[in-house]
Amino acid sequence: MVTTNKKGNRSRYSTYRTLVQTAAFLVILLNPFANYYLGVNFVQGWYQSLGIGKLWFVSPLEGLESILVSKLVYLPLLVGMTIPVLLALFLGRVFCGWICPINYLSELLDRLRRFLTRKKIIKDAITLPKYLLWFALIGELVLTMILGAPVFVWLSPPGLVGREIMMAVFFRTLAIEGIIVLMVLTMNLITRRFYCRYMCPLGGLLAFLGSKRKLVVSRIEPECKECGLCKMACPLGLDPLKGESLSNYCWNCGECVDMCPDRTLRFRWRRTPVNGFIPLQVQNGSQPRDASK
Amino acid sequence: MKKGNMSRRYPLEAKHLTRRKLLKAAIVCATLAPSKVLAKPLFDSPVGVNRLRPPGAVPEDVFAGKCIRCGRCVEVCPYHSIIPLDARSGVYAGTPLIYAEQIPCYLCMKCVQVCPTGTLKNISQEETRMGLAVIEKYSCITWRGEALCRTCYNVCPFKEKAIHLDQLRPVVDEKYCTGCGLCTHGCPITVSPGKKAINIKPIFAQVGVRW
Repeated sequence: MVTTNKKGNRSRYSTYRTLVQTAAFLVILLNPFANYYLGVNFVQGWYQSLGIGKLWFVSPLEGLESILVSKLVYLPLLVGMTIPVLLALFLGRVFCGWICPINYLSELLDRLRRFLTRKKIIKDAITLPKYLLWFALIGELVLTMILGAPVFVWLSPPGLVGREIMMAVFFRTLAIEGIIVLMVLTMNLITRRFYCRYMCPLGGLLAFLGSKRKLVVSRIEPECKECGLCKMACPLGLDPLKGESLSNYCWNCGECVDMCPDRTLRFRWRRTPVNGFIPLQVQNGSQPRDASK
Repeated sequence: MKKGNMSRRYPLEAKHLTRRKLLKAAIVCATLAPSKVLAKPLFDSPVGVNRLRPPGAVPEDVFAGKCIRCGRCVEVCPYHSIIPLDARSGVYAGTPLIYAEQIPCYLCMKCVQVCPTGTLKNISQEETRMGLAVIEKYSCITWRGEALCRTCYNVCPFKEKAIHLDQLRPVVDEKYCTGCGLCTHGCPITVSPGKKAINIKPIFAQVGVRW
């Protein structure tokens, strides 16, 4: 059913992405060793907050929760959140697609699954409405403020990966809450990135920040044969034929761009809508195109 | 167009509060209410005698809310004094704690420089108030008159200020004691598991938060 790309441009972005993800994972994997055995403190933390020398990164949701709960604004925290927020504003959910260790592990598992089942396409068993992501974000923030304890910070899967690695290196044990990571990874068996699609508040916040992002996957409509491979390639189950690659949910991983046999999907820098070159939104009224045609 | 969709998806009767719905809600509320009581250990602070937050910590009231569990203080601590808690500590899972009698804080002040949230405020060694050292005079062999031990005095980083000797017996001055726990760590007398003849009481962790 699935043909590889004849023009030989397959796995272009996937290769870059895997490299970036591996590098990002190696940072949190090797850093505890450097801290513990070599006493090198140049880098500390993981993707809840990462310090590289004097450069601080703070995950936007974690920072927001900390501010909401303590009802105090700490300026270094805001400064630490600046770069991730700017990244999300311009590029969208790229953290999820290109850095997040949960997605990295999920992709590795997907590869293993493809290898074991010898099928190129993984079918999603359960698909829910995509707007559940917003409920996850809002619900999580409200719960955080009611409890007075930051919920996502407490048990955030991407953070837990880092915490477990650090626990293993520093204390030669694993924290119990790591079971959440296993659960999130297991959910991939039902639907790819089930957690990321519908439940991740951080993904929700980044998607919200990326509403007006500049980097999008856009389609050259006249050249498109509407084969629907892009939809099957998308780990989030988005359909670029319906313009969903322009929606908030897309995390710009480039899987669809790689998969497209006619190279009609491309990363574009969204300009102001004045020149009208790129269709910004597909109207709700237009009939959905059938992928099987 | 959109409205038409909505009414199709949600039929009219579903909008009304039916008896069944009310009962369902009541059952959910009834099951959730006692969980607040059961969940009490989830909200109990792990801070106590010889169980201290790292230097510069905000009051325990907001600690769990402010700390984002990034673990940078744990990783940066050269003595591995700071240990992250796990899920058994409820909402405090992932927050840093120092077990003073095991590995005390050596006041290197590295953790306060990396904390990104201001949970550990960037303060100096002298300003640190992790707690207050309290001598159990009935357990301390010097105070009991059994021996002339002055280990706590010897190991104190603010010797003569925080701990001085009064007729060869150690006395803590709360004006200078940082609560680092070096004295607790050094004390040769173990009264009960985790308790020595000199203990750190985190009296400053309990102060309320002023906005």
